Amino acid sequence: MGSLSKLSPAKVTAQLPFPYRAPTVPRGVEPLPEEPKLGAHYDTDWARRFPARWARAVILEAALRPAVRVLADPERRGYDRLAGLEPPVIFAANHHSHVDAGLLLTSLPEPFRYKVFAAAAADYFFVNRVAAAASALALGAIPIERSEVTRRSADQSAALLDDGWNMVIFPEGGRSPDGWGQHFRGGAAYLSTRCGVPVVPVHMEGTGRILPKGRNRPRPGRTRVTFGTPMRPADGESSRRYAARIEDAVAALADEVSHDWYTARVRAHAGQSPDLTGADLGGWRRTWALGDRKPIRARKRRWPDL
Amino acid sequence: MPRPGFVLEVDGSTPPILFHHGEGFRLEKLPAGRSRVVYPGEPLEPIDDVDQAIEDALLHPLDTDPLPALLRPDMKLTICFDDVSLPLPPMKRPDIRQRVIEAVLDMAAAAGVDDVHLIAALALHRRMTESELRQAVGDRVYDAFEPKGLLYNHDAEDPDNLSFLGTTDKGEEVEINKRAAESDLIVYVNINLVAMDGGHKSTATGLASYRSLRHHHNVNVMRHSRSFMDRHSSELHHSNWRMGEVIRNAGVKIFQIETTLNNDTFGQDGPMSVLAKREWEWSTRDRAAFVGLQQGVKLLKPAARRKAFQTWRAPYGLTSVTAGAVDPVHERTLERCFEQHLVSVEGQTDILTMGLPYICPYNVNSIMNPILVMCLGLGYFFNMYRGKPLVREGGVLIMTHPTPWEFHPVHHPSYIDFFEQVLAETTDPLEMEQRYEKQFAEDEWYRHLYRTSYAYHGVHPFYMWYWGSHALEHLGRVIIVGGDPKAVRRLGFKPASTMADAFEMASDVVGAAPTITHLHNPPIVMADVT
Amino acid sequence: MKAVLFERKPARYAAAAVAGRIVPGRGASVGPLRLADVDPPELPGDGWQRLRPRLAGICGSDLATIDGRSSRYFEPIVSFPFTPGHEVVGDLDDGTRAVLVPVLSCVTRGVEPLCPGCASSQINRCERIAFGHLEPGLQTGFCTDTGGGWSIALVAHESQLLPVPKAMPDEQAVMVEPTACAVHAARSLRGPIDTVAVLGAGTLGLLTVAALRAHADVTTIMVTAKYPAQQRLATELGADWVAAPAELARAIRSATGSFVVGGRPTGGAEVVIDCVGSADSLTQALAVTRPGGEVLVVGMPGHTSLDLTALWHRETGLRGCYAYTVDDFEAALGLVGEADLGRLVSATYPLSRYEEAVDHAANAGRRGAVKVAFDLRDEKERTR
Repeated sequence: MGSLSKLSPAKVTAQLPFPYRAPTVPRGVEPLPEEPKLGAHYDTDWARRFPARWARAVILEAALRPAVRVLADPERRGYDRLAGLEPPVIFAANHHSHVDAGLLLTSLPEPFRYKVFAAAAADYFFVNRVAAAASALALGAIPIERSEVTRRSADQSAALLDDGWNMVIFPEGGRSPDGWGQHFRGGAAYLSTRCGVPVVPVHMEGTGRILPKGRNRPRPGRTRVTFGTPMRPADGESSRRYAARIEDAVAALADEVSHDWYTARVRAHAGQSPDLTGADLGGWRRTWALGDRKPIRARKRRWPDL
Repeated sequence: MPRPGFVLEVDGSTPPILFHHGEGFRLEKLPAGRSRVVYPGEPLEPIDDVDQAIEDALLHPLDTDPLPALLRPDMKLTICFDDVSLPLPPMKRPDIRQRVIEAVLDMAAAAGVDDVHLIAALALHRRMTESELRQAVGDRVYDAFEPKGLLYNHDAEDPDNLSFLGTTDKGEEVEINKRAAESDLIVYVNINLVAMDGGHKSTATGLASYRSLRHHHNVNVMRHSRSFMDRHSSELHHSNWRMGEVIRNAGVKIFQIETTLNNDTFGQDGPMSVLAKREWEWSTRDRAAFVGLQQGVKLLKPAARRKAFQTWRAPYGLTSVTAGAVDPVHERTLERCFEQHLVSVEGQTDILTMGLPYICPYNVNSIMNPILVMCLGLGYFFNMYRGKPLVREGGVLIMTHPTPWEFHPVHHPSYIDFFEQVLAETTDPLEMEQRYEKQFAEDEWYRHLYRTSYAYHGVHPFYMWYWGSHALEHLGRVIIVGGDPKAVRRLGFKPASTMADAFEMASDVVGAAPTITHLHNPPIVMADVT
Repeated sequence: MKAVLFERKPARYAAAAVAGRIVPGRGASVGPLRLADVDPPELPGDGWQRLRPRLAGICGSDLATIDGRSSRYFEPIVSFPFTPGHEVVGDLDDGTRAVLVPVLSCVTRGVEPLCPGCASSQINRCERIAFGHLEPGLQTGFCTDTGGGWSIALVAHESQLLPVPKAMPDEQAVMVEPTACAVHAARSLRGPIDTVAVLGAGTLGLLTVAALRAHADVTTIMVTAKYPAQQRLATELGADWVAAPAELARAIRSATGSFVVGGRPTGGAEVVIDCVGSADSLTQALAVTRPGGEVLVVGMPGHTSLDLTALWHRETGLRGCYAYTVDDFEAALGLVGEADLGRLVSATYPLSRYEEAVDHAANAGRRGAVKVAFDLRDEKERTR
């Protein structure tokens, strides 16, 4: 009995002398404030060094891509709009679901695919060490405060962009609560202007049906990813206006998906692209009108390929 | 700085020269001291910002108002574009047609134009398949217009959809697509791969019917087109220009957009890049790539080989995009074409040699049958000259191509019959024109296949033969090296198994120690012979 | 007397069937065929004469028999052992040359009254070929009593003999019998016909082309021929279009301006004359005959398996065409001279080299030959 209690680790550590255990703080001394290591302060530099990049590429191709294919069955369009485009680039997409990040990362073409970081909500992905490390490793995520553009996260993103890294960001600041979008915040626009990097608007359709906010179990479905024409800020354009323009571009892409390209262009030129946020709809009509936004699927090929 | 094309005098230390040989290649040693090789120029610097260049062209057209000023919401707008025969090989996506058409449509969208049709101006060529249309105009345009029936292939045999616009002063009837003729504006999007393309030929040929085409697609006109790559010496083009005038006088407004591509057919690196290099500059890596290519090709069955080659997409760069009135636009295009293709050559030669590649305008995603071999060699390559033909009158043409007795049953049904029934009787273009053309042109079955399947028009094989009629008249003998002897003889040519045999056979016609010129094409080269 | 003899030996016949299927003509050496010394056939009665063959041709039906391909249909209408050879020009005892009309009809068999066929002079339709005072046998060359052309001598009824004009060479005369078959086929066609397709350009096919030109009102004659020599001869004899069998359907489609469904032309030739008689040729014939048209089977078909849906659906007539009347024979006698059909005789052999002769005949097309015949003019026994 006595021998067993002697093996208890707590007892062992309690008996260890000072250098082998943490010191105690003398009374009357103010202890140093504990430096925050999580949330927006999580340091992700290690995730962009060689072993982590290599591991991320493996995770992307071997795990994420097959998972996305099974879950989201994506149809990807608009790569031709990226012809001649060189890194670094900011990909700004609408956000409905946790599937979005994986879908977008697997949809990026070369030369953007393996040198990319994602802006992820510090208060969601970086709350504990395990989640933070996983996000940083698998998604190349860096923590961003969603409530405000803080100096720290902005500087970090800008430094990475300047270093030639591409950025994936969801400017809505969070997943859609009800299937409709939210207005774009200024982060992507600000960084584009600050670093002189083009923004590629991206529209993802269908992820909300797979794993909407508030559900835990995904329901496999079909999705469509559409890349838009790269955008640059106009001279003297404010981040707000620029962000609104990016939102309009994504809205036009959404229109292109649910109608056709030419109709979408006509409406975009006339400033009549359907609003992503459903701002003009209230009450039950918000849900009701969602049904109209499903895309027209490519019909079965009518012509044989000879 | 890309180097221009030039003429190499072959000497004792010149390495063997590359000859294309269908889906394969040959290296042939040319006799030193009396041979020369005409090399194409290296790819011109492409335009960096293509979309900007397109926008500039549309906003600052030659001799006409900017495109946005021509667009009104209630107008009928028809956008016509070149078919699958251009460019060769097909280019990497996005195709230049797509980029231009999207720019045009974006302006039309800004103007709120509702009534837009897009027509593949394919004259009597086969209809384009869905994937070919997608390749040409892009998915966005295809998905926006095709499902509504607003994007389609021109049908030269649809009596309800052609309109007769009049006759030229030489009595040539002009009949083109009705929708195009009745539009307020036709925007024609060209790819001017060679100097033959574009100008008034775009509309007067691409949108025409058989009734209209026969006035310039015939033996007499082709014999007086010397060459048909030189618009100002080409009866083919004179006729088209006369027709263009009739079209203009009928009140049809055309906004012409022409684009030129550089010679970057095989890429700067990658498996095919060696084909664009000069033999003495082949590095170890190039030579390894060539051997690998040649041996790899041999391992494949013919069908697989064809498929492998047909999937090649050329990384062409855009060298110009010009918009506006047909004539000034075309003149500028010709300048850019010649800048890339033209090489000065002094004097004619006794023997002209050429290696025929796996593709010609009429076998994209298809089989290069013997008639197309004839057309590519005696039609296109032979006519790659300005001034005088490269080979003297009565000289010998030696081409390399496997020339298999094989036809694509869907694309070329009338070719099979032409080969079996017409060529068995005569290889004289005039005689076949008189005896057989009408029967083939009016065959209901061919008409049905042209209109509903993916077949070239019944009369098309005749046109292939007429395309070579100038060469047939000019040449003393045609020899095909490495071809199926039966098929080659059916064409009226002589088969040879090696280049040495061919030179031996040629000496019957041009005597001992003849001069030899090799046209090192593709990438495209055109000889300016003085 | 030397004669090539075909005996009833089932085991050897089976062996010939196997060998013949592997190498055409091999049935001659392994089958029930042999060169024998036999007694000359006796004259069966009044009106019979002895005919000493000068040239005797080898016919497709002979080859079928030798290679064990003939139908069991023939069993009751032949009698063993027999000497083959029914394409014969020979000398009569009085020195005149004559060609043999080999059909053994009522008259030759002493049958009275004549059957309806013979009564109307259509001896090829005789219903008594197994009866009367002769052993069964549809023709000389299949009957044990008469002997056959591949020998020094045979017997023939006077109704079977037609004198040969003095100027006519033997080579032309030996072609009269097969030409008569072709003439019979050509004369059986009614009215002006736009397009006739002739399948096969062996002896029968080529002669049919010549006969069509001479005895039928046909605008376009299309012929399939496998070998270059056949193609050349077909053109010379009057064909408007000659090519390989695989090209026929396309040529007919194009000539008649028809459509295509399921790889078959929807229209076709008014009349197709099958001079091959194989399942393949009959299938092709049915496929290229226009609805309401007619297929004429001139080549002996034998046991064949065919899909007749097209025949039913397109209301195609399928008509056999066997032999000739004496009338046809006389017309043929004229035609061989006019069209110089003697040139079709490509090779002759003495009886002693009968195996080689059969082999040559069985592979005639490939070897650039048309008709192979036995030449008996120099046989020693003949003058005895």
